[in-house]
Amino acid sequence: MTASVKAWLAILAAVVLLPVFVRHAIATEIWIFAIFGLGLNLLMGYTGLLSFGQATFFGSAAYVAGYLLKFYGINVFLALGLGIVVGAVSAAAVGYLCVQRSGLYFIMLTFALNQMFYFTAYQWTTVTGGEDGMPGIPRPSVLGLDIHRPLAYYAAVALLFLFSLWIMKRIVESPLGKILQAIRENELRAEALGYDVPRMKLAAFVVGGAFSGLAGVLYAMLFGIVPLESIGFVFSGNVVFATLIGGSGSLYGPVIGSFVFIWLSESVSSMWARWPLLLGVAFVIVVLFFRGGVVEAWARFWAWRAAHRAPTVAGADAPR
Amino acid sequence: MPLVRTERLTKSFGALVAVNAVTLEVEEGSLHSVIGPNGAGKTTFFNLLTGQQAPTSGRIIFDGRDIAGTPPHRIAHLGIARSFQRTSIFPTLSILDNVWLATFARQESWRGLAWRRADRYPELTRRALEVLGEVGLGEKASLLAREISHGEQRQLELAIALAAAPRLLLLDEPGAGLSPDETQKMVALVRKLKGRYTIILIEHKIDVVMTMSDRISVMHFGSVIAEGNPVEIQRHPEVRRAYLGGVVAP
Repeated sequence: MTASVKAWLAILAAVVLLPVFVRHAIATEIWIFAIFGLGLNLLMGYTGLLSFGQATFFGSAAYVAGYLLKFYGINVFLALGLGIVVGAVSAAAVGYLCVQRSGLYFIMLTFALNQMFYFTAYQWTTVTGGEDGMPGIPRPSVLGLDIHRPLAYYAAVALLFLFSLWIMKRIVESPLGKILQAIRENELRAEALGYDVPRMKLAAFVVGGAFSGLAGVLYAMLFGIVPLESIGFVFSGNVVFATLIGGSGSLYGPVIGSFVFIWLSESVSSMWARWPLLLGVAFVIVVLFFRGGVVEAWARFWAWRAAHRAPTVAGADAPR
Repeated sequence: MPLVRTERLTKSFGALVAVNAVTLEVEEGSLHSVIGPNGAGKTTFFNLLTGQQAPTSGRIIFDGRDIAGTPPHRIAHLGIARSFQRTSIFPTLSILDNVWLATFARQESWRGLAWRRADRYPELTRRALEVLGEVGLGEKASLLAREISHGEQRQLELAIALAAAPRLLLLDEPGAGLSPDETQKMVALVRKLKGRYTIILIEHKIDVVMTMSDRISVMHFGSVIAEGNPVEIQRHPEVRRAYLGGVVAP
């Protein structure tokens, strides 16, 4: 059984078991946030572009689809499709400006443009509701199936997550995935080989934006509201945080990161108000010791175990 | 007819003229060496040819077209490939992927760019493995590029340039930092490429240059001070003074 098959089995098991142990809304949020993280990971983990503005695409999609769901009663598929398009288009616009610069300037641009979108949403109260958010987002039925019950909505989101993960797997294993990694490793050489680096980076932005957009619409329908925070920089930071903890640059990293982050923030926060402290500690440990996040820690643990087990087994056999 | 010709090619950085009115012709199928002391402008000259830097003035005629100032990724598609003096590879990718990326870039169409699995391009993989075999890395294709020795990384550097099947191959000190043993291997390798590719070679090891080159240009403070075949260059008084004799201008 290959590593990839094992990973998929583990994720399938998690999809089935999660609602048994965790509140349905939280379980749903975990997979939504994972879709969001998959998009960021293509930029941050594979292309080496630290975008601090992913909430721009997430929030824009949530507002646009939310507005149309609320006032025009569009159907679910149209809402999701629109969210993906809005995410991709806003990412194309933001990305076009950002890929002109690199390093720190790139990061600051993603952040500054995110702030611009945030304050637009904040000021444009007639449409977005400003600080109060945009409440009353309906959750229309899918092909006659009612998805108001939390478990039904959970199932729909989980399926979309699995589909998104499969799409992302195809992308990172495609030539584009390799080219993006080459750009991360050595931009100069990638260009010398004949790759139009800014355009490839833009492609990563657009794909990442599409995933963010999908996540944004699902989020709006989950809580029935588009909160102002969903387009804010804290939200952008959270997804970076979660992806780093899970393991950036590995396909499954953001999925694990989303699980850790959402589960901690939703369950521990009710017991202990200072829970971000715990996240901070986790973050420091990751940065100092496990740059590849949980995924790397896991791989190192098994390597360590294999190394320590071999002599014991031999020793146990010896006396007999 | 020359494959590439530069006409009074100049690059200046403020008051410093790194490349000064260099006019040079390289015949199709020949090996043309560029020698000169450190800081003579050889690598900058390469950077102009591959578009990494835009010339201040002058023209670069490649195959009848002026390509001066064209961005690097377009120049690569015209069929100019280079190796770098300081090893420039993709460290965390496999050796096969390093070379595969060069073969994919030169494809006419990028069909399946974002969807087909990268290992489902048998023709490209075959070509990449063939090039790796040629430079002597065939056995190590699945290792990561950062896991091999410096000498092997220099071989990989060359393989990446070759995999693009270039019409013009620019080699920037392929022997940089190699042990005598590794240098011999590299020289044998470059010798095998001679005749199959049009090559411009920058190299410091003068004996290597003298035995291999069809023509040699000598650069000094940005200008070409002499050009000719190896015998002519060895006899050239100014070259002896500026370079071979080791006496540097005041």
